Amino acid sequence: MVFVLFALSVLIFFLTRGLLPPTTALAPYINPRLTDAGKLSIARAVGVATSSCASFSDFAALRSGCVTPLWTQYFYWLKNVLVGNWGYTLLPGISGTQTTWSVFFGRFPYTAELDIVAAALTFIIGVPLGIISATRNNKVPDHISRIVSLGGYSIPQFWFGAMLLIVFVLYFRVGGLGLLPASGALGTTCALCFGQSQVGTITSYTGVPLLDSLFSLNIPYFWDSVVALILPALTLAITSLGLLTRIVRSNMMEVLRQDYITMAKSKGLKERVVTYKHALRNAILPAITVAGLLVTYLIGGSVIVEIVFSWPGVGSAALVAADVLDINFLELFVLVAGVIIVVTNLVVDILYAVLDPRIRF
Amino acid sequence: MSQSHAQGGGNEDVLSIRELKLKFHTYAGEVSALDGISLSIKKGELLGLVGESGCGKSVTALAIAGLLPQNAEITNGDVILDGKNMLTLEPEEMRLARLKDIAMIFQDPMTYLNPVFTIGSQMVEITQAEPKLFVSTLVAHRLRQIDKEAKGGEQGPKLLAERENLAESLRTQRLGRRELNELTKSYSISLLRSVRLPEPEKVFEMYPFELSGGMRQRVMIAMAMMRRPKLLLADEITTALDVTVQAQILHLMKELRSEINSSVLLITHDLAIVSEVCDRVAVMYAGNIVEIADVQELFRNPLHPYTKGLLASVPRADVDKIPDSIEGSVPDLLFPPGGCRFNPRCPKAFDVCPSKKPSLIEAVPNHYVSCFLYGG
Amino acid sequence: MSQTENPPAKIRGQHSDFRYALHLLRQNPIVMAGLVISVATVLLALFSNVLVNGAYWHQQNLNLRLCWNNPDFGWPVTNMFNCGGSVYPIGTDAYGRNLLDMIVLAIPIDLQIALEVVASAVVIGVVFGSLAAYMGGLVDEIILRITDIFLAVPWILLAIVLIVVLGRSLTTLTVAVIITWWPWYVRLMRSQVIGEKEKLYVERLRMVGAGWPRILFRHIIPNSIYPILVQSTLDIGSVILTVSALTFIGLTPNPLLPELGNLSNQGIQYFFTAPWLITFPGLTILIISLGFNLLGDGIRDIFDPRLRR
Repeated sequence: MVFVLFALSVLIFFLTRGLLPPTTALAPYINPRLTDAGKLSIARAVGVATSSCASFSDFAALRSGCVTPLWTQYFYWLKNVLVGNWGYTLLPGISGTQTTWSVFFGRFPYTAELDIVAAALTFIIGVPLGIISATRNNKVPDHISRIVSLGGYSIPQFWFGAMLLIVFVLYFRVGGLGLLPASGALGTTCALCFGQSQVGTITSYTGVPLLDSLFSLNIPYFWDSVVALILPALTLAITSLGLLTRIVRSNMMEVLRQDYITMAKSKGLKERVVTYKHALRNAILPAITVAGLLVTYLIGGSVIVEIVFSWPGVGSAALVAADVLDINFLELFVLVAGVIIVVTNLVVDILYAVLDPRIRF
Repeated sequence: MSQSHAQGGGNEDVLSIRELKLKFHTYAGEVSALDGISLSIKKGELLGLVGESGCGKSVTALAIAGLLPQNAEITNGDVILDGKNMLTLEPEEMRLARLKDIAMIFQDPMTYLNPVFTIGSQMVEITQAEPKLFVSTLVAHRLRQIDKEAKGGEQGPKLLAERENLAESLRTQRLGRRELNELTKSYSISLLRSVRLPEPEKVFEMYPFELSGGMRQRVMIAMAMMRRPKLLLADEITTALDVTVQAQILHLMKELRSEINSSVLLITHDLAIVSEVCDRVAVMYAGNIVEIADVQELFRNPLHPYTKGLLASVPRADVDKIPDSIEGSVPDLLFPPGGCRFNPRCPKAFDVCPSKKPSLIEAVPNHYVSCFLYGG
Repeated sequence: MSQTENPPAKIRGQHSDFRYALHLLRQNPIVMAGLVISVATVLLALFSNVLVNGAYWHQQNLNLRLCWNNPDFGWPVTNMFNCGGSVYPIGTDAYGRNLLDMIVLAIPIDLQIALEVVASAVVIGVVFGSLAAYMGGLVDEIILRITDIFLAVPWILLAIVLIVVLGRSLTTLTVAVIITWWPWYVRLMRSQVIGEKEKLYVERLRMVGAGWPRILFRHIIPNSIYPILVQSTLDIGSVILTVSALTFIGLTPNPLLPELGNLSNQGIQYFFTAPWLITFPGLTILIISLGFNLLGDGIRDIFDPRLRR
């Protein structure tokens, strides 16, 4: 598992540093107002310039002997990563004033909030949909459920988000304001929002607006955060639940054909017990293995959804970073995502072993 | 033995199937699985249902229990259990019937027990399904247990209190949830003991995969016994077991049958088992009942050519020759033969056989056969 | 039933797969719809140049931008620029071009990219997947670990990094999508070959002395490639989704290019003034990918041995 992360870092590093000039790699670490000598010494410290390099302009011109080989650069880079030194951000407006690390983790709680709520919605909607589809196979509820889950899988996420915006912000208007907010993590101008004036402030414990507003006992803030969360989370959830529903459905269908289901029915157990105790327990187990996949999909999806809803998370920032070639930001994002996914898979494996008695022995 | 049961248990039919016709709708067409079968089982009787694979024996059992798959259609006939027509019951009534009146034991206990739940939880859920039906049984059992404990020494105040609780529950016919689970647990453990499972308390907490085939089969029997059914349907219950274990299971079944006096429909393709255990036998071929008789009578005096062929094909240790087989093969029930379905393979077939279906008639007292050789 | 000594030859014995497939197809109108949509999309792509002049997207008509004059339908926006003369059934885009024409031109471009991606992914998947499965051991481990690494990243991040590094062009776009898609195909092919190589005929071939390239390429691969081909045809819809997502967030080579994601990108920029700009291109993407996905779902159900009666 650690190996995967390590290899991932290698992949990302060589992909970026290998194909971009070292000056780009250096950009986050230097202040453009430094003297050339100052820049060179930082270049050496970061490991991209050799000690034998004469001047910074030589380095920038990629004079041979001036740039350290890629593998050496990697080890310096790895060392920096492990201590959390990602240089200064290149994002416009705050370039050079904050570290990449702090910018990333300042925005990360917003993405986390969005993704976690979306994940919960995915399960809440997706699993029952799959069950209904299986128990009423090939009848109307099955067809509807299959269209919904398949539709979720086929819908462009940005389009779905935009459609929700059109309906709830452009069409349903009350007093000249859309029903729900169009952008941001805190509803400012919408019919259901308290609005800027009434909301006040909160102290930041975790960085996650929902939690912080609860801890600060600021209910209007909490409410406005929830209201702003509805559309983006729904967008993410509905477009991600297709896979889950499909797996639950096919597992349930297979399980319902098993002999022990016939046995359970023959014992005179209620239909509800047969479906939800006997069948579901066996069907849901293999379904948790898609949790890792789902997390991947959610993180990726939040990039798009954050752009559509102008959500202040790391996804929307990623694109800006791409424009200004802030590689460090992107690398940090990739590695953090990698860690989350790998940990999720690990948790799933453990969970599977705990829940399936056959594996425990 | 067969005589004592035929006369001892009262003369009513527990189960009576009349002219049951059933077909399956498959992608390849309609499969005519049951072609108008009729049979009956008296109270306390052990009826064997014999036939080759695919002849419709299991389907018959499923039809009785109301567990047919969705593509099955019953086109004719009745299934009367203790006066009620099973085919006209509402789903909820059918479920209660499966809980209390009919118990089914299946062939391969590995696949018929849910692998992720303990034996105990799969037994306890039976009484949880409809506690009202089990109050008397559970309370009576616990009271007996308390009596046994009391014999050893003083009747302590705890036991007395419990006695009072139980009497109260018996009066109101209601049990609290925890009480239900505890009583069921102790009842289940004693049932597991009565089916000769070693260390039944441990078995109660085990998972199905931890037990051997024979032990799992005993668990299934215990689950059936718990409901004290009027009719026990045993579908090839020994087929998946070793011969030695087979004998034990059959022995166990006989004991238990006499203990709770339920009727049994024993489905099997093994004639040896039939001769060991059954009172009466029904022979089935391609969706039809071709012969019904008392066990001894059938073996002594088989009437239907198919039965004769079956008996002749059993290998015998005392005769030094390879047994005969019946020529031909079982018909495809998508396109069953016209008239008597056995006629293409029958050595005694004559002109009327392919064109009309023979009905079941009493050729010899209490011995029914469906063959034109004997009229019908 | 009448006396039947000889049932119809077709049905005797094994009941054919095809008949069963037809039976399920009849039971499933949704899959039929998918089939119809997919076929219609391909036809539209093939004949797009007949319907719209291929060079249309180069012109810009800035005084006609973002206008809507379809009398049958209105939008809840306050400023809708005026379109002047001809009626534009679904309005114009940010450069003043007829949105309907743009969509018609975009379909073949998206479809073409999708086909390239899918074909490349299949080739890579077949080669590496079968090598991994057949060689086993260290080769298998390495290839498997590499797919693990790629699957441990949300695809869009990988694609963003790639395009940042490689620059923006249709080629890099295609490459970026291929890079995110190939691990699935490698795994799929690998599992197929693992099953196939255990079969008896492979052992017999080895006993006769056939070399491994021959066994692999002439026998194993042709026998196990069928599910991959089915999967690839059906992934076409998902690939279009992927590509348009990337151009939507702005990683496009040319903002003028008629491409469904591109048009949607304009759409979100001008969302409050011209909501049709994101509605219709997105709807097109939805219909196309829905068509291929429905078809795929149905075909997978039909050929899934576990779900058969």
